[in-house]
Amino acid sequence: MAITTSTPFYQPIDSVTLPPTDAEVLTTCCDYCIVACGYKIYRWPAEGPHGGPAKEQNALHRDYPLTPLAGNWLGPNQFTQAGHNGKLHNFAIIADADADVVNPRGGHSIRGGCISQKVYSPRLATRDRLKYPLVRVNDIMMPVTWDFALDIMAEVSKHVIRHHGEHAWAMKYYSYQFFENTYALTKLAFRSINTPAVSQHDHPAIVNSVPGWTDIGYDIFGASYEDFSLADCIVCSGSDPYETKTVLWNEWILKGIAKNKAKVIMINPRRTMGAAYAEKHGGLHIDLNPGTDTVVHMAIQRIIIENGWQDQEFIDKWVNNFWETDSGFGQGTRNTPWQWRTTWGKFQVKGWEDWKAWLLSQEESKPEVAAAIAGIDPQKLFQAAEMMAKPKADGERPRTTIGIEKGNYWSNNYLNTVSIGTLGVILGCGGRPGQAITRFGGHQRGGRSGGPYPGLKSPYKVGGRRRHRLDLDRWVQSGQVRFAYVVGTTWVQAMAGSSALEDAFRRYTRNNPHQIRSLDKEEIIATLKRRVDSGGMVIANQDIYMVDPIGAQYADIVLPAATWGESDFTRCNGERRIRMYSAFYDAPGDAKPDWKIVSMFAKKMGFAGYDWNEANDVFEESCRFSRGGRTDYNVLRTVAMRRGVKAHELLRSYGTTGLQCPLLLDGDTILETKRLHDYNRSDVPDTGPEGVTVAGKSIFAFKSHTGKLNLLKSPWSVWSDFYDFMTPKGEELWVTNGRINEIWQSGFDDVERRAYIQQRWPMNFAEIHPEDAAARGIESGDMVVIQSERVPVLKDYNLFVKSDDMSFDGQMKRGHIELVTGQFSAVAIVTPAIKKGVVFTNFLAKNAPANAIVPRVPDPLTVNYRFKIASGTVQRMGESPFKHDFSQMSFGRRDIV
Amino acid sequence: MNTMKTDAHEQSPPPDSGCLSRRTFLVGTGAAATGTVMLTGIPGLEGKAWAARLARYPRLLIANLGELQINRPQSFKYPDEGKNTNSMLVKLGQEAGGGIGPDRDVVAFNTLCTHMGADLGRYYKGSDTALGPCPFHQSTFDLTRHGIIISGHATESLPQVLLELDGDEIWAVGMVGLIYGRYDNVAA
Repeated sequence: MAITTSTPFYQPIDSVTLPPTDAEVLTTCCDYCIVACGYKIYRWPAEGPHGGPAKEQNALHRDYPLTPLAGNWLGPNQFTQAGHNGKLHNFAIIADADADVVNPRGGHSIRGGCISQKVYSPRLATRDRLKYPLVRVNDIMMPVTWDFALDIMAEVSKHVIRHHGEHAWAMKYYSYQFFENTYALTKLAFRSINTPAVSQHDHPAIVNSVPGWTDIGYDIFGASYEDFSLADCIVCSGSDPYETKTVLWNEWILKGIAKNKAKVIMINPRRTMGAAYAEKHGGLHIDLNPGTDTVVHMAIQRIIIENGWQDQEFIDKWVNNFWETDSGFGQGTRNTPWQWRTTWGKFQVKGWEDWKAWLLSQEESKPEVAAAIAGIDPQKLFQAAEMMAKPKADGERPRTTIGIEKGNYWSNNYLNTVSIGTLGVILGCGGRPGQAITRFGGHQRGGRSGGPYPGLKSPYKVGGRRRHRLDLDRWVQSGQVRFAYVVGTTWVQAMAGSSALEDAFRRYTRNNPHQIRSLDKEEIIATLKRRVDSGGMVIANQDIYMVDPIGAQYADIVLPAATWGESDFTRCNGERRIRMYSAFYDAPGDAKPDWKIVSMFAKKMGFAGYDWNEANDVFEESCRFSRGGRTDYNVLRTVAMRRGVKAHELLRSYGTTGLQCPLLLDGDTILETKRLHDYNRSDVPDTGPEGVTVAGKSIFAFKSHTGKLNLLKSPWSVWSDFYDFMTPKGEELWVTNGRINEIWQSGFDDVERRAYIQQRWPMNFAEIHPEDAAARGIESGDMVVIQSERVPVLKDYNLFVKSDDMSFDGQMKRGHIELVTGQFSAVAIVTPAIKKGVVFTNFLAKNAPANAIVPRVPDPLTVNYRFKIASGTVQRMGESPFKHDFSQMSFGRRDIV
Repeated sequence: MNTMKTDAHEQSPPPDSGCLSRRTFLVGTGAAATGTVMLTGIPGLEGKAWAARLARYPRLLIANLGELQINRPQSFKYPDEGKNTNSMLVKLGQEAGGGIGPDRDVVAFNTLCTHMGADLGRYYKGSDTALGPCPFHQSTFDLTRHGIIISGHATESLPQVLLELDGDEIWAVGMVGLIYGRYDNVAA
């Protein structure tokens, strides 16, 4: 993971410079994980004067030395220097010790705690930031002006759209990097160009990660972090918040364990610190085989029902009966996702009794059958059911909160999300304090769509007059993309079956004969037009660093983006809290924020509506597009206009506390929404919120057509053909992947450019069980090769006639899946914390991508990749340098309690 | 790998740190010849700069090697008796970065978690040669590898106390890394 341009070693220092009392103070939030802790930035001239150790001598208001938990300790990784208005300044970037939401008293993770090292500095590892637009000439990336680069991009784009259609103009972008940017990008792609060939950083198409909940009627971010401190039982599926959601664990779940004696149930093949801690404090670790969550959920449901522990009052009141279900669905055009998925009666039921009868009729819901499939002790299923649902001695129901993340929904996407959703329904989850059901989340929520997805243009026609959204990876692979605008994502390694994808990119870019051999703009444009007309592809890659290979090897145009801290931005976190991310230092070189680049490009394309002068202009325009949604912040603009201020400035006045969306208006008062589905909510006037507010159904009820919840079936047979194919054969092991605490939504900064983290993780790793390791002669510190020669890749678009044609077996039989080889290397960590038969590795080491062996056959129902389901052989290559070198890496157990 | 090995004996002796040449501490790792000063874990530091940094620290006798037993940590305070200087000397029973003694397994660290300052002095895990998990938020540190974080939230390795063996006497002579809660290790 480490790159050569930065020092791989951290040099610990033993003194820091304190900010003086007159240091400027700005607010922001951490750039990385969904939790988005509040941070303060202290800025003062590099030459001083500096602060002193007494609290009246420094801006941190602390007497040094600090006592434990004092907050505001300035460690070496919280300090940096950078330019501000062209002059060198000191910056202390510290978790906000005055915060009382999200990260009270200045809690922080290792990632956020080191965020000052993300700041561009010509003297530090961030010096390789992209600074000027580049064009590939004779295979050298040459600096050019913005006009030069964007003229080429615009002329080639116009040519592609005119001669090959808007389908041939693709955009691959991040879904999360601030409302201003995502709004601008999607306005361009959807409203101005109107192409369906768009997908986000983590999916092959623009799809929902948790479709089961959408169909049931749950919002995916309904909880407030407070719910985790109020629950009696917290179910964590496919993610350990200790590893990935640090401050949610530190500040909220630990509080629940300490004060409520909350029992935490971790469902995960890997025994993490959180799992070990949960077990020690009366909780449970369900160490299931990858991809078997559904049967675990079904067996727990069965035990709950057989004991009568379900929340019958809630079910009676909030579950749709047959007539209620049928009144909304199965009618009309049948062109909504739910209708598509329920066409053949595989999932929908006629209400509670029908669902119950179905569940009890399923072989896989029997605890002993489920336990055998999942590879777990059946007793754990009974223990889990008790913790979640068994009434207390006084008859009171335990309050259970469910949180899920990628191990759940990126293994068996539809069935896992359906079955944990229905588990939530029978537990009465949703809308009450301590009884939430939510995604934990990955990146922060900074997506705002500037236009509707042109669904009817998608060529991905499937049976029953239905369409999926366009699968962009397959679209590229089949040669349909002639121009790709790639913004802020590691397209290739971040997608499944990445080795086959790499082949396709190379074929259409580098291996096309029409390559730029001139710095004459007209000649370049003519060359690239010849490229696209001959079946090739032109890529413009916009990012903060050069990304290999998409930028470094395939792009003809590379555009430098300004990012966090370099422009004012806004974004929501995992409890829908919107905050201001203040600009505080100068972007490197001529880098510009993405919204600004979009505006310059769109004007060259001749599109109207891009006359934005500052980030606030984009934000204010985006406000109305948030209406009715989970992160509805439209009233910010209304109130700002009434007060005669900019919406950004109004939001900035709320500091690191921000406002919890959706926001409603009552007179001049902004009403926040603590949790969604809050059917007991009483702070909204009887007349409802004011006119500018679009109060979505999910605020006061659930998200289905009736405002009630749908129970759905989760038949194992829908998944078993794919699962059987992916199950390890012979010498193979399961190879699953995920995030770890030190590297999480921050890889581009820390493993590549943050010396302290580079020292901890100088290379990709693979956790392997001692018995599996011994059988292969592998010790901790050995380099290993992980390989599969049967990575299934869906290679083309195809229609289906019979209902099973789209299943894995059906596609295989009809010849639409090819088997390719993929491989990556890693340093072995031998630990009993990983389940026997399973290997766990980092989800995205750019130079050793686990996705090389991940199947590129999306869930046929939902077009989600099954990133966590792979298998392969593991072989020893030799010793890594870290096996005997004490200065880097650690092979210590991560589950010590 | 850019591992830089500096044999301090090859550097000109710093004028204000005459004791350096006698020191046998190891910072870093690997196949060091006995009696040399290895600075492999602290690259980028020239020997002189390193010596100048050490010169700020007091030289303090903390224990005798013969008294140490494997996995029986001893506590001491360093570099002064002020706040946050709680430190731990431990014979790990396996070779460690910066370890002294014939088995290169004696190391010392400040015991305040560099995340939020909990004192980990009572949280030594001999079976894992680790300190932690921190009672506040479960950070753990690898004592064989210069106190680097195993998992958790701390933004610094545990500050390592540099040791020197003089006969049987173990002397604390300096530190690598900033102590939690301080802005300067030698300014209380």
